Amino acid sequence: MSAVLSNNAPRALAVPTAGEIAGEKKMLLAFWVTGFVALAVGIAIGALQSTNYAGLNLYPYLQPFLKSYYQGLTFHGVLNAYVFTFFTISGWLMYLPARELKLKPNMGLAWFTYALMLLGTLMAAYGMFDNSSSVLYTMYAPLKGSAWFYLGVTLVVVASILPLIVVLEMRARWKRANPGQVTPLVTYMSATTLLMWLLAALGAGTEAVFLLDPWSLGLTNTIDPLLARTLFWWTGHPIVYYWLMPGYVSIYALLPRQAGGKLISDPLARLAFLLLFVFSLPVGTHHQYTDPGISPVLKGIVTALTLSVAIPSLITAFTIALSLEYAGRRRGGTGLMGWWGKLPWKDPSVAAQVLALVAFIFGGAGGIVNASWQLDNVVHNTLWVPAHFHLTVGMMTTLVFMGVSFWLLPHLTGRKLSNPKLALTGAWLWFIGLMTWGLAGHWAGMDGVPRRAWVAALPHDQYMQLYGTVHPALILVGIGGGIATLGAILYYIVFFGTLFGKKEAGAMVEIPFTEFITPAEGSALARVAEPLGLWTLITFIITLAVYIPVFWPMLTHPIHAPGFVLW
Amino acid sequence: MTTSTPDAFEDQFHHVALRHERVWVFIAVTLIAVLFLVAVWFVVHDYGLVAKTTQFYSNPNTPSQLAEFQGSGVKQTGPNSYDVYEIGRAWSWTPGTGTPLTLPVGAHVTFYVTSGDVLHGFEVQGTSINLTAIPGVVGHVSYTFDKPGTFYIICNEYCGAGHQAMIGKIIITGAKQS
Repeated sequence: MSAVLSNNAPRALAVPTAGEIAGEKKMLLAFWVTGFVALAVGIAIGALQSTNYAGLNLYPYLQPFLKSYYQGLTFHGVLNAYVFTFFTISGWLMYLPARELKLKPNMGLAWFTYALMLLGTLMAAYGMFDNSSSVLYTMYAPLKGSAWFYLGVTLVVVASILPLIVVLEMRARWKRANPGQVTPLVTYMSATTLLMWLLAALGAGTEAVFLLDPWSLGLTNTIDPLLARTLFWWTGHPIVYYWLMPGYVSIYALLPRQAGGKLISDPLARLAFLLLFVFSLPVGTHHQYTDPGISPVLKGIVTALTLSVAIPSLITAFTIALSLEYAGRRRGGTGLMGWWGKLPWKDPSVAAQVLALVAFIFGGAGGIVNASWQLDNVVHNTLWVPAHFHLTVGMMTTLVFMGVSFWLLPHLTGRKLSNPKLALTGAWLWFIGLMTWGLAGHWAGMDGVPRRAWVAALPHDQYMQLYGTVHPALILVGIGGGIATLGAILYYIVFFGTLFGKKEAGAMVEIPFTEFITPAEGSALARVAEPLGLWTLITFIITLAVYIPVFWPMLTHPIHAPGFVLW
Repeated sequence: MTTSTPDAFEDQFHHVALRHERVWVFIAVTLIAVLFLVAVWFVVHDYGLVAKTTQFYSNPNTPSQLAEFQGSGVKQTGPNSYDVYEIGRAWSWTPGTGTPLTLPVGAHVTFYVTSGDVLHGFEVQGTSINLTAIPGVVGHVSYTFDKPGTFYIICNEYCGAGHQAMIGKIIITGAKQS
């Protein structure tokens, strides 16, 4: 193969025309606007959930739109964690490689992805809206939702796989024309993320197609709840990396330039992505430390593998902090921390992303506790857990994408960011609000306040009897949620203000692709990381090696549980 | 993505960075290794709190029909040790919700937990007891109640409209039983 290639002189590839680039921009805009509209609904419902924990039950006022906290929570989880992320990430990871490689993506497939994802979303939304599927976004059987819901989610997941084909095809085209060179960084990161997601989606995909869909259609009468949730968590852990890694793409490959510096090391960025890929897949069972039916020995192995995920995160912390320090010193920062104040804090896009990084330190530290088998026993399924993922996904995906949108919307539409000051204030309020709710949620969780419980519906004396010792923390949860919601309102004023603003010459900024201090050329590490097919195979084998002994007792002891509708 | 020519500032910055990077990676790997060893050591040291499998049942109704799960569900197995057979049903714990589980201080208890319908979460507030109740599987955890007082069993796995009210009570009385 390589001999054949080396005989051919590198061919010049057709560069997309201005009209074609405009088409790509329209595609990405469709994905982002749809995703962010879903997020707006999700956030509005999220505000009710934080007041619920503070003891304020607002649901009786929302009849007949929301019948219960649990129906709202199902919407919140599905819209924020699936619809928002899947739409924005799918568009983002197709568009950036296309522009980096200067190649035209398969636009037919890109729009098909959009259409299929939208169809799935509408089906699932119907199933949630009529309150037939208030099973929450984890959809644990044998609680039984409607076929609309399960089939809709299935379509959304299937659609989310398709961008991989678009990216791999462009990468192959580029490599044919540039034999012997390593894939440019953004394309490498995008392909790694999507390959990781392909393997990840096998779990929930299998659960949906073989267990939930036929069961909800009446083709099967019973379901195995343990097998279903184990398949769910095969996907449920790596999905968090599918949420984070597209944020990391911006943090690694764009933010350093926005901040006025360079990325310290391209090969180290590849290493971080590769380690996230390998270590995120086999560890889903750590969400099941408290489940019977899984051997404690396996849980110990999963603990070790899970803690290993901290290594690429710590590499990221180092590389990014150093890249920002470089930018700050370039801008005249001196002394130990002088560079920090010299960062372009007035640029809402940079500020949002740097704030997300600050929050992520706390998110990561809490995650070490969740990952530690024994400590997890104290916090499992308490408010600690959603507090943790609001500091991670709510920041590294949501806040980073909010920050990205401050340059991306002008880039896509040619309209100026409508109100940079409001954008900056919105980002700060989101950060302060989620930090408040996050830290208070961790605190309340340590006292055993359960996650996803309609505690405000309890009689007040029982609420106080059970959770009174952490009542201050729960009030802070409500206040934090309120502040974050206010930040989101400001954000959406800027978002729609920009979309419907006037076109201006010069508003269409370029993508801030970064430069590197240590480039990939000549790096042995970049070479080792390059064969993504091989790394996918290795990861798949490791994942199977961990999961076959997990599944074995379940497959040899199947459970035939009937379904329940209990809401 | 082209890289512009580095200048003296960049060279010097890079030189220092390489050294710091090695130190950082070393600290990170050491930290993770220590954390892992400590986490696993505590599990081995206090093995009881880890969720363990008692038995699978193909028919999820089987456990609730077994003799152990009938009556009070409490069986004394030693001077101050007990087996407690606990069933979660939407939306109560038996024993715990109807009649509180009352045991003397110092009681060493092994909870055998299952579900009669959907998933539930068997969490005893203020302790490390945390076990998923799954129809068709019985799991167990052990715990020693060293302090007297009232402990609440809180369902921490969503189980429908009454999930938040699925609360049980464990009363640990002050006097030690001989």
